[in-house]
Formats: sequence, C-alpha cells, structure tokens
Amino acid sequence: MERSIAAVLGAVTALSLTLAGCGSGDDASGGDGTATLTLAGWSLATTPEFKVLADGFHAANPGVSVELKEYDPKNYDTQMIADLAAGKAPDLYVQKTLKNFYTYQNGKQLLDVSDVASGLGRGANGLSSYQVDGKTFAIPYRQDSWVVYYNRALFDRARVKYPDGSWTWDDYAAAGKRLTEGLKASGSPALGIYQHVWQSTLQGFALAQTPGADLASGDFGFLKPYYTRAVGLQQAGAQVGLGDATTNNLTYQAQFGKQRAAMMTMGTWYIATLLGQQRSGDADKFEWGIAPAPQRDKSTTGASATPVTFADPTGMGINPKIKKARIDTAKKFLAYVGSADAAKALAGIGITPANTDAAAGTIFAIPGVPTDDVSRFAFTRHDTKPENPVGKYTAPLQNILNDLHTAVLSGTEDIDTAIAEAQDRAKNEVLNK
Amino acid sequence: MTAPGSAPARRRVGRNTLLGWSFLLPNFLGFAVLTMAPVALLFYYAFTTWDIFGGAEWSGLDNARQMIHDSTFWNAVRNTLYYTVFHIPLTLVVSLGLAVLLNKRLRAVAFFRTVAFFPYIASIVAVAQVWNMLFSPGYGPVDALLRAVGVDHPPGWTTSADWSMPAVILVGTWREMGYFMLIFLAGLQTVPAQLYEAARVDGANAWQRLWAVTLPGLRPTTFFVIVMLTINSFKVLDLILVMTNGGPGQSTLVLAQYVYRKGFEENQFGYASAVSVVLFLLCLLVTMAQFAVNRRREA
Repeated sequence: MERSIAAVLGAVTALSLTLAGCGSGDDASGGDGTATLTLAGWSLATTPEFKVLADGFHAANPGVSVELKEYDPKNYDTQMIADLAAGKAPDLYVQKTLKNFYTYQNGKQLLDVSDVASGLGRGANGLSSYQVDGKTFAIPYRQDSWVVYYNRALFDRARVKYPDGSWTWDDYAAAGKRLTEGLKASGSPALGIYQHVWQSTLQGFALAQTPGADLASGDFGFLKPYYTRAVGLQQAGAQVGLGDATTNNLTYQAQFGKQRAAMMTMGTWYIATLLGQQRSGDADKFEWGIAPAPQRDKSTTGASATPVTFADPTGMGINPKIKKARIDTAKKFLAYVGSADAAKALAGIGITPANTDAAAGTIFAIPGVPTDDVSRFAFTRHDTKPENPVGKYTAPLQNILNDLHTAVLSGTEDIDTAIAEAQDRAKNEVLNK
Repeated sequence: MTAPGSAPARRRVGRNTLLGWSFLLPNFLGFAVLTMAPVALLFYYAFTTWDIFGGAEWSGLDNARQMIHDSTFWNAVRNTLYYTVFHIPLTLVVSLGLAVLLNKRLRAVAFFRTVAFFPYIASIVAVAQVWNMLFSPGYGPVDALLRAVGVDHPPGWTTSADWSMPAVILVGTWREMGYFMLIFLAGLQTVPAQLYEAARVDGANAWQRLWAVTLPGLRPTTFFVIVMLTINSFKVLDLILVMTNGGPGQSTLVLAQYVYRKGFEENQFGYASAVSVVLFLLCLLVTMAQFAVNRRREA
C-alpha cells in the first residue's frame, strides 16, 4: 500500500515538474552570433506570406532565423491577447485587423518602432494607421485596396461594356441590372453582381468616400445611399440577398470563381487566391480584369483622378516582453518587412505589399494577372483609406453597425429606422457611456 | 485485530486519508484552478473596468448602472427569456412523447431510439449550418415544401427578425430531444408495471394511464429534466452563434452571446463579467424557484 502511495505521489510530483518545465523561458540567442526570432502567423499552409518574409530575411541575414508560431485565423486576436497577457507571445506579431490595434497599443503591448518607420522612405502605404501621438507602433507589410473584379466572358455574353474607371455607384448598379437581364436572356443563371455578406462591402466604401463621414461622431446618415442602392439591387434580383448568402454559406471565391456573378467588389488579396484557384481547378478558367472601385460621384472618376477606396493595412509589431538582446534584430526584421525587397518577394506570390510602387512590375509579370490599362490603373492608383478609424469606440460601434447591416439587408428594418436606432444605441451604449 | 484508537489503527486511517487525497488532489487542483478560481474572480471583475492588459480598476456599481441604461442588454434578456419560455415546454413534451412511444415493444425500437438520439451527438456547427440551408427562404426545402402545400408566403426563418427565434428554438428542440428522451426512458423503467395492470383492470384507457400513472411516476425525472433544460436554455450560445450570430439585427442576441461580444470582441471584460453575474443570478433564481415548487408538491 505504501508503495502505491509513493508511486501516486511520485507521479504527481513528476507531472508538476513537467508542467513547471513547460513554463521555463528559453533564450534563443546562440553563443556563436546566431539568433532566432519568433513571429506569429496563421494558417501557415495556405498563407505563405510569413514564410516568404522569414526566408527573405534569413537569406539577407544568414545569422538570424525567424521561427513561425501558428495561430488559429478565426481566433487570432483572442489567442494573441491571451498569450500577451500570459507573457507567452512571440517576439513579433501581426496586426491582423486594424480595429484591434487600439487594444494592443493602448494596452502597452507594442514597442515604439518610430526609428524603423523613419528609415522606410515614402513608398510605405498604411503607416499612418499605426501612428499614435507622433510615434509608430507597427510597420505595414501589405496594403490591399478594394477594387471591382469582373468576368470578361460574362460581360461579353450579356453585351455590357467593361468597367473603365468612370463608374459611380449608380453606374455600377445600372450595369449590374443590365448584366442580370442580358445573362438571363442568353440562358445563363449567373447574376450581375455578388455582394459578400460583410458589413465592410457597404460601410467601408461609405465611410471612405463620403466627405465628413466620421464613425465616432455617432451620425450614421452617410450610410443611407449605399444601403438604399444595395436593397434595390437585391429586390431587382441583380444580386443574391443577404439572407440567401448567409443561410447557404456562400463564399465570394465560389460566386466569382465559378462564374455565378459577373462582377463583385473585393480586396486585392483576392488576386492571388483567384490565380491559385484557377490553377488548381477550384475556380473556372476565364478571362477577368480589375477596375477602380465605383465612386460616390464623378469627381473622383476617370484617368486623371485618384479613386477613393478602402482597406486596412496589415502590419507587424514587436512584443515589449522580447528579450532586450533581440530588440535590435527584431527592428532589423521590421525594416526588411517594409522594404522594397520584401515588397517584391510578396508581390511574387500575388500579395499586394504596402510598398505598392516597388511591386507593380513584379505582380503584373505573374502569368494570369490582367495587364490591361484599367487593371494596372486600379492596382496602382488609389486613395486607400482605413476601413475604420483606430480608437476605443471602433469595436463596439462596428458591432452596432453590423446589427444595422443584417437588419436592413434582410428586410427587417428600413434604412431610416435602422440608422436612427443605431445612432441611439451608439449614443447610449458607447459614446456617452 | 487492533482496537480502534490504537496506534496502528490511527496509522491505517492516516494512510487511507493520504491515499484518498492523492487520488482526489490532481482532479481537484484542476477544478480549483480552472473552474473555481475563475468563477470566484468573475464576481470581483464584475465591479471593475478591465480590458485584459494591466490591472482591473475598481469601479463600484458603474457596470450595474451602465446595464440599466443598456438597451442591447435588455434586448438580450428578453430574447433569452423568449428562447427559454418556448424551448423548455416544447422539448419536454417532444422528448416525453418520444420516450413513451419508444418504450413500447416495437420492431426495430433500438434503431429508432438511436435515430432520435443522433442529433445530440452531431457536431453543433454542422447541425446549425445544415438547418440554415434547410431554412433558406430562396433555395431551402422547408419553404419549398410549404409553398407546395399552398402557403404562398412561407416564413423567412433565420433571415427574418420575426421568425429567426422560432427557427432557433425548433433546431434547439430537435437537437436536445434525444438526450432528454433517454432520461425519460430510464425514468419509465422505474414506474411499476403493476400500476398499469391495476389501471387496466379498472378500465383506464391509454390517455388515462398516461395521466394517472406515467406522469406521477415520472415526477422526479421530469423535475430533473426541467432543471437541466432551464440551465441549458439560459446559457444557449453555440447554436445561435453559428446559426444567426444574434441577427438579423438583434433578434436572436441572447445573454451568453452578449457576454462573448462584450468580452472577446470589445475587450470589456469588466462589463462582460457583470452581465455574466446577472445570467448566473437569473439561472440561480429560476432553479431555486423550481426546487421550492417541487418541494411544496412533494410535501
């Protein structure tokens, strides 16, 4: 019996020691001048950008390796917040969504990297999104922009002219209706437009393109024309309704890639996905192009103007709990991440880097990428605003506006009622709390 | 034989105690660290503002004051009660009906019992997504069937603010009925067969036997089922999160999801803790009321 007790206690002690061992920190700096940085990423098998950056940096700095730590893409921020709070986060981590940047920065979970930012030059887009009180807390490495993707074959079949950069949203809606009618007449089941279920498909454009629109003001009247138009398109049958899209779990990749819609607005990240899916057979093979996002009015359309669109940058910052000896190496990595070399490496796999100008030549040399003038213009020329401002009210206001989005597009509420309700909630639950 | 209280007997008791603790401790430590301590801390965080980084700042009754003026919180309370009030009786009746039906000596009864239990072990994500497709107003077979039998304007189900909660309640009932059917089946085995025979001799028909023999015999089981259903209904989250994500608008936003939203989406862990405490108290009050009513009935 005593032997059993000893065995049980021994096992408990061994388990405790093992658990304690798991918690011990390790210094990854080698004595021979080599060092290892750790970097957070997600879905490493299908998101090659982290490995491209790690390998590119290692090639330029053979003494430094960058080890990737994989997180769940859907719960990235929740897991990262937990790891940071527990002191277990990697040396460098990605700001997956800009709306959570405030949480990290305000929670003092990002080192000041202003010195890295000042050395980047003028090519880096999206840097200002990570600046607070004159200091920079993350370095953007990709900066997508929302554009219109269109299927040339379906446009030809419906006898509708390709978008040429002169479209306002009313032109876009009218073309969507003409496409639907033309496609129906030709026996095609495809619709003119696919609008994905995200609130950003309308609210991102409305906020970016409406002069004076300010999320934190609590005045959401700027949303009305965008929602009125979308509801009209749903009612006309020119695009799938939100209800059918959510209940059937429609994906934008299948809707456009399998030619169920002639055009849709989406971020430039979809270029790499579409190319990959056309190669693998997950998407049909057809000719496609991109065009500038439709504009609120004519003033920002045409070849001489700069179209206004939106998208958040994706940046990288340094965990303040990094070992002091590794801070300089981590900053060196960030400088590489924002460099023209990294931009070209990212563009080589179809990703839109923050340094767009440096990468345009590379991306248009990829087989399958449309090289017409309008596509080139759409990719390189735009005034890309953040999807949302960085601030403490952004996350709760977004939740309120997501309720508005589902209520209006499901036909539950008309846009005026929904806006009035959202403004009341914003005032009572968030802004005047 | 050693006398109780003697030194060897004390040693044996001591050894047994130590052995008992060594078996208990690993599990208890896990429970204490992962369940008991977080629950205790929850009551503290309910009176603080805390965004996870740094320390929680004591804010007294600020969270409670905010809750009183928070229309979304009250919407979530209403929706939680709506779900509870309809989900409990519906699941109770359906699972009891299934249990009575499948308690008979039918051919392939084991197969039908398995079929009824199957939804309970199916993945909640798969269940929610498949039902979403079935309910789809444009392409779903449910509305297609309704149109075929002459309903010109079938419900919008999860895409309509009026019908989304009934849709969620139906799926919740479908999912849980098998589990509670099993509990009722176990309860039915405890009802003495002689009582049914006596009732038959007295000329009672099937309905009268159900009313006068089965239901009174199942009272302890029914009480257990109601308590479990109440707790399950108040804390419903997964099904709603996948099926409707609280929408359209706020039509299916329940308290558990509101806690999730405030905590993990908006990083307001202090306020989320306060809402959790309200949810806990609501559960506790209703369960205590059920115990009190049950005790009075048994007395």
